Amino acid sequence: MASTMKYVRVPPNSASLAEARQRVFEFFKTACRSIPSIMEIYTLDDVTSPSQLRSVISSEIRKNAHITNPKVIDMLLFKGTEELCNIVEHSKQRHHILGQYVLNREDRTHDIGNKDQGASDFLKSFYKSNY
Amino acid sequence: MASALRSTILRHIRVPISHSLSLNGSRLTAVRSMSSHGDDHLDKQEVVDRVLDVVKSFPKVDPSKVTPDVHFQKDLGLDSLDTVEIVMALEEEFKLEIPDKEADKIDSCPLAVEYIYNHPMAS
Repeated sequence: MASTMKYVRVPPNSASLAEARQRVFEFFKTACRSIPSIMEIYTLDDVTSPSQLRSVISSEIRKNAHITNPKVIDMLLFKGTEELCNIVEHSKQRHHILGQYVLNREDRTHDIGNKDQGASDFLKSFYKSNY
Repeated sequence: MASALRSTILRHIRVPISHSLSLNGSRLTAVRSMSSHGDDHLDKQEVVDRVLDVVKSFPKVDPSKVTPDVHFQKDLGLDSLDTVEIVMALEEEFKLEIPDKEADKIDSCPLAVEYIYNHPMAS
């Protein structure tokens, strides 16, 4: 398989933002291609579906979409690759995956793409504090 | 599906030996008339329907806007990460693995349909 975990090493030298961007897409594809094996390892068939996991991965990537420094992007890719390797090697357990990626996605206070634009400022800062 | 049908039929009829196997030096491809590898080719309308289903079930897409010639970024308002995600969903649906160079070119429905239709391993 073209995107196995074996040689996923992120050399910390993205020359430009464009190269870092390409790396992000490759990381995303690698992660998506390992979704079937993740679902099998942790028996997630009852709880979620591959397309939901894809959405979760893309929303995690999108949280950092505003970053423009290629070195920071490399660092984030390194951390993402490390997390993905841990998951694929079964170093984590089912409750980790469920808690971090499957359950309670709506309660997180991150921006969900283009939605939430109609919400008022009061609501947006509601979870942070009342002041 | 067609191959299963063919094998059940073949079990019950007697088929004469085909004379079309020719192994010259110039053309080393034997015509495998009994092989079911070639007829797994998908019907174009089926490909279109399945691609549209995949695009419509994408959570950020409005299903009413999806037509067979829609462009992901221009018409549906998605960004590049969403386009990659749709391509990955198509890879899963048709059990393909699309190399990066080809995947970068797919950014609209007609291109996706054409690529999948022309891919020999699509199923």
